[in-house]
Amino acid sequence: MTATPEIQDIVLDEIFPHKVETIWRSLTTADLIGRWLMPPEGFAAVEGNDFTFKTRPAGAWDGTIRCRVLEVVPDRRLSYSWKGGDDGNAGYGSRLDTVVTWTLMPVEAGTRVRLVHSGFETPRNDMAYRNMSDGWTKVVQRLDSVSGEA
Amino acid sequence: MTEAAASSVTTVMRALADPTRRAVLERVARSREISVADLTRGSGVTQGAVSQHLKSLKQAGLVVERAEGRHVYYRAAPEGLEPLVRWMDHYGAFWRERFANLRTLLKEIDP
Repeated sequence: MTATPEIQDIVLDEIFPHKVETIWRSLTTADLIGRWLMPPEGFAAVEGNDFTFKTRPAGAWDGTIRCRVLEVVPDRRLSYSWKGGDDGNAGYGSRLDTVVTWTLMPVEAGTRVRLVHSGFETPRNDMAYRNMSDGWTKVVQRLDSVSGEA
Repeated sequence: MTEAAASSVTTVMRALADPTRRAVLERVARSREISVADLTRGSGVTQGAVSQHLKSLKQAGLVVERAEGRHVYYRAAPEGLEPLVRWMDHYGAFWRERFANLRTLLKEIDP
């Protein structure tokens, strides 16, 4: 097979007018995480540490997002797995086995914050879809807009 | 979400998790319609393996088949990706909202 499969990620990339250290603290302090994301249970910015978030339950899933810290590079990079859901659910609450990665970069105006939520696998290859139908084009455009909006 | 879409995010994700299966789907999508034999040719995979991948793709609603005499032809079903797109839309919106929260929090703790 010659086509190159790609993995589709959700990407947000924005400049925040704050120092890297301040943003790092917001991403890695349980109390602060609770104020902008969700209150974590058992969070520590230590590789291998397991923690959870409680979200709205759906079907057989109790709403728990299970995370494990995968990488910690102070003031630079934080990544954790993001798993949850149940096979029995459609749409909200579907099974997820994904990874969330934060990358911080100091810039003149403050800090560039890049979030990549990866693990949503989709087929996407410009060459491959040259002959695709209108419907397919529409779907791929929507995928682009998910990753493109930031 | 319609009945047809039920549980298909999981099915779609699982169907797309295999790189060979994604490649099969991309080849189907590139053709208007294609037979198993044509898909197998030059793929480096056995016809049996291609058939198995097509079966998973069909179950996930990503391809549809059409029988003509002794041959079966496959074409891509773009609408099969919609549930996955909707699930991603959910998380896209989720993170955009959280980014806005983070911006507000930072203003509070670091005016």
